[in-house]
Amino acid sequence: MKDRSSHEILPDDKPVPFFPDHLMTEFWVAMGFLGLAVIIGAIGMFHHIGLEDPADPLNTPLHVKPEWYFLFLYQLLKVVPDYVFFGQIEGRVFITVAVIVALMAWMIFPFFDKKEDTKRAWWIRAALSALALIAIIALTVWGEVS
Amino acid sequence: MQLARKLLYGGITILLVAGALSLATSLHASAYEPGVLDELSSVEVPPAKLEPCLHCHIQGEHTNLWTPTARWLVFGTLGLVFLFGFWQSASIWTQRKPFKPLTTRVADWIEERYQIAKPLNEMLKKPVPSFARWWWYCLGGITFFLFIVQGTTGILLAFYYKPTAEAAYASIQFIENEVYFGAAIRAIHHWSANGMIVMAVAHMIRVFIMGAYKPPREMNWASGVILLVLTLAFGFTGYLLPWDQRAFWASTVGTEIAGAVPAVGTLVLIFLRDGWGVTEATLGRFFGLHVLVIPIATVVFMLMHFMMIRRLGVKRPL
Repeated sequence: MKDRSSHEILPDDKPVPFFPDHLMTEFWVAMGFLGLAVIIGAIGMFHHIGLEDPADPLNTPLHVKPEWYFLFLYQLLKVVPDYVFFGQIEGRVFITVAVIVALMAWMIFPFFDKKEDTKRAWWIRAALSALALIAIIALTVWGEVS
Repeated sequence: MQLARKLLYGGITILLVAGALSLATSLHASAYEPGVLDELSSVEVPPAKLEPCLHCHIQGEHTNLWTPTARWLVFGTLGLVFLFGFWQSASIWTQRKPFKPLTTRVADWIEERYQIAKPLNEMLKKPVPSFARWWWYCLGGITFFLFIVQGTTGILLAFYYKPTAEAAYASIQFIENEVYFGAAIRAIHHWSANGMIVMAVAHMIRVFIMGAYKPPREMNWASGVILLVLTLAFGFTGYLLPWDQRAFWASTVGTEIAGAVPAVGTLVLIFLRDGWGVTEATLGRFFGLHVLVIPIATVVFMLMHFMMIRRLGVKRPL
């Protein structure tokens, strides 16, 4: 099986030593991001991240939104019907449980995908990723504007 | 040559040289006698008495032979002692051990105690296939780098942050307005957090598309998903810490959603909020999770993640 032995480096991989060649590549990428962080910091000196009003448990704001990376899940919870499966299950509960189950499945699915990789499977995975990304971005944008 | 003989010859040399030089200087000093220079009236020369030679104080008032003799003896002896020392140092220098740079000596010192050179060398010289230097293989490394940025800026923020309901909001204001570069550090912490999530997701998509999760790297994938969840947990817990309206209500709603899970939801809600409502206790709990529990868990899973990928190597692309 070619894939399982792929940690053995072949001559046509043109191997380079981890140090300095590979590490320096990573180092310069990191330096680029450090420069970016410095620029962000410099801008942040003049445009503060800022704060809203202090927390007030007695005053619920009109629009409560999570951070953008939770927004698609939040939007999903908002648009799901109150009851799904013929009124048997509460929609919010269903979505919450479904997301947790999906995440667990997402974590362990490689244990069941042992097939040899092919070009075709590569493209299917790329298409699936693109679809999922588009769906998530669409939900996020929807959540942002609603 | 014996030391006594050396000293004898040295002494005779000092006496001879001192005598000769004293004689010469004494004779020369007579040129500074008043009246000698006065005859050269066309030249502006300062009077000898007022402008003495500062090196040897030969002003003409000590015309005897003993003053310069004593002076030459004292200074000549000192000079010879200095020359002798210089000579000894030079001969020791020529017989020294082969020169080792400071770095080599430090390395030897460490090696003598830890015997780390061989495994370290193996680790550093491990061959990496050339394809692993394409930019899309850097996404995970960038995530790790941003984690380090988060750790550093987070420690700096923790110096000034106060996780109590009364003080949290004011301490963030203090960081932004009073602390040197506080606003910059907070901005970096804020944007690196977002960048870390983007990079982690990009890394995951890259791994998924390229099929790098397949055996024998399933555990890498599993630990990676856990790391992503931990990163999101960082974001969720960190969001409450400013203790403003947005933070408070986002956490209220977020924990409420966790509470909707059947069977365990209520327990999770009480654990997260440290009670039934979002209070100061919740703030303390989120702070503890954000700065201690989740970072430690992240470091542990990162170590596993990295050790496995070092062992197994980057998957060869199709």
